[in-house]
Amino acid sequence: MKLLTRAFRIAFSNIKSSIDVCAVSVITIMVAFSILELFLLVFANLNSLVETWNKQVQLIVYLDDSVSKKDQSTLENLIANNKNVQATSFVSKGQAWTDFKKTFSDKAAILNSLGFNPLPASLRLQFSYSSDRLKAIQKFAKTLEAQNGVESVEYGKSWILKFETFLAFLRLFLLAVGGLLIVGLILIISNTIKLSIYSRKEEIQLMALLGARPNFIKWPFLMEGMLQALVGALLSLGVIKIVYLYMKVQFQDSMASLFRGIYIQFIPDSFAIYILAGSLFSGWLGSYISINRFLKSELK
Amino acid sequence: MIQIFNLYKTYKGNTQALIDISLEIKSGEFVFLTGQSGAGKSTLLKILYSWENFDKGQILINGINIAKIREDNQYTLRRKIGVVFQDYRLLPRKTVFENISFAQEAVESPSERIRFKTWEALKKVGLTQKKDSFPLQLAGGEQQRVAIARALVNSPEILLADEPTGNLDPEIALEILKLFEHANSQGVTVIFATHSAEMLKARDYRVINLGKGRLISTK
Ligand SMILES: Nc1ncnc2c1ncn2[C@@H]1O[C@H](COP(=O)(O)OP(=O)(O)O)[C@@H](O)[C@H]1O
Ligand SMILES: [Mg+2]
Repeated sequence: MKLLTRAFRIAFSNIKSSIDVCAVSVITIMVAFSILELFLLVFANLNSLVETWNKQVQLIVYLDDSVSKKDQSTLENLIANNKNVQATSFVSKGQAWTDFKKTFSDKAAILNSLGFNPLPASLRLQFSYSSDRLKAIQKFAKTLEAQNGVESVEYGKSWILKFETFLAFLRLFLLAVGGLLIVGLILIISNTIKLSIYSRKEEIQLMALLGARPNFIKWPFLMEGMLQALVGALLSLGVIKIVYLYMKVQFQDSMASLFRGIYIQFIPDSFAIYILAGSLFSGWLGSYISINRFLKSELK
Repeated sequence: MIQIFNLYKTYKGNTQALIDISLEIKSGEFVFLTGQSGAGKSTLLKILYSWENFDKGQILINGINIAKIREDNQYTLRRKIGVVFQDYRLLPRKTVFENISFAQEAVESPSERIRFKTWEALKKVGLTQKKDSFPLQLAGGEQQRVAIARALVNSPEILLADEPTGNLDPEIALEILKLFEHANSQGVTVIFATHSAEMLKARDYRVINLGKGRLISTK
């Protein structure tokens, strides 16, 4: 603990004494993270869009008007035995017709003149949420379609599946960008810390000569690297928050009118925590590489 | 006690710096290490405080085989050894007082003791009035006093001096020698490297004489 508070104090004064070099490195880190976070922001919003749609997806099974009691109960058993089905509601022919007329009340005259009810009765199935529920729906739909007494099945928005594939790809892409970024970050930090080490070369040599523990020598530099990366990452989150607020003001209304129940959202907390943790890790590793290399080979 | 058995050291580029050196230095002894420039004096001292490694042979310091000490633990050896250089190696941006405190901070001495021990060390070398000066404001002999105070402040068992008087006038050199002798009188083993004939003549200590990496004589 004493080691760390001392390391923190020294790191702070090191940063203060080479503020220009540190500023360049912090800004580079900030820009790099901002780019990653911009992707993350887009990704998070697309993701939540899909999730919202996903929740609205239901499987509608239209029944033959002539469906037998036996066929209908076979059907209901089949549905009850499917673990993915969360809730089922039965909409009778009469109910469907009333709903329909309510929706198109301005055309009531025409509809009433029709003289008979053209709509089928239906079962509406809600599926419990899971990552592969769209596949489950698809599969179950095929099974149900083949049953006696089923006129047709419908599960809207099958293109969501394609969109989800795209999102899976985007997730991989983000991981790759994130990985590259971490590598870049490690290089930047290790370079900045190298400068800091060389500007204190004599002091480090002397400490080693006088019998300082290796950790005692290393920690101020590790701390310096971690601080720089952390500050860069925090600043980038600030930048992206501003971008987010701007986007919200500009686009929330038009988005909300396009898709009901959609709000432009910020990067989830978990991502932000990963980013901060990633910055600390790369700050640590970058400085670790430099100080270790120095102590091993260039001390003497 | 320092025991050296058949020590060989070759630098990269094939300079044979030390060839088959065997010798023994007792605890509390004062020895001169001499030989012309390039004879291997500095190399031998560096090996003793694990600043350089060696190729062959064995070194025991108080019975501990120093080649067996892991790199991470070399600091334990260095804490037993104080080192003084010809060029002092003081930190120019720290005051005299801070330079001596620095040595104690490096070994994580309790901070309550640092001021007191720094003061004591300054008293020992007669530099209390200069405590707030910067090294470059001091004369060479004074800078060397600071370096000696720094080497002694952590109470080492062994004091290694690599031509500590090489840059100093003869009278001042003698004053510096007396500081080492004072430490020696307190029980510190001193190895004093020098190629100055006057220094050797001034005192009657054992002389270890190196020539081109070989041990020529130890009397
Ligand atoms: N770091 C080094 N790399 C290569 N050769 C060295 C190095 N240090 C010393 N030497 C060589 O080793 C020999 C002994 O050097 P040194 O121990 O410094 O002698 P002294 O201190 O007696 O003058 C010399 O020939 C010197 O050139
Ligand atoms: Mg030398």
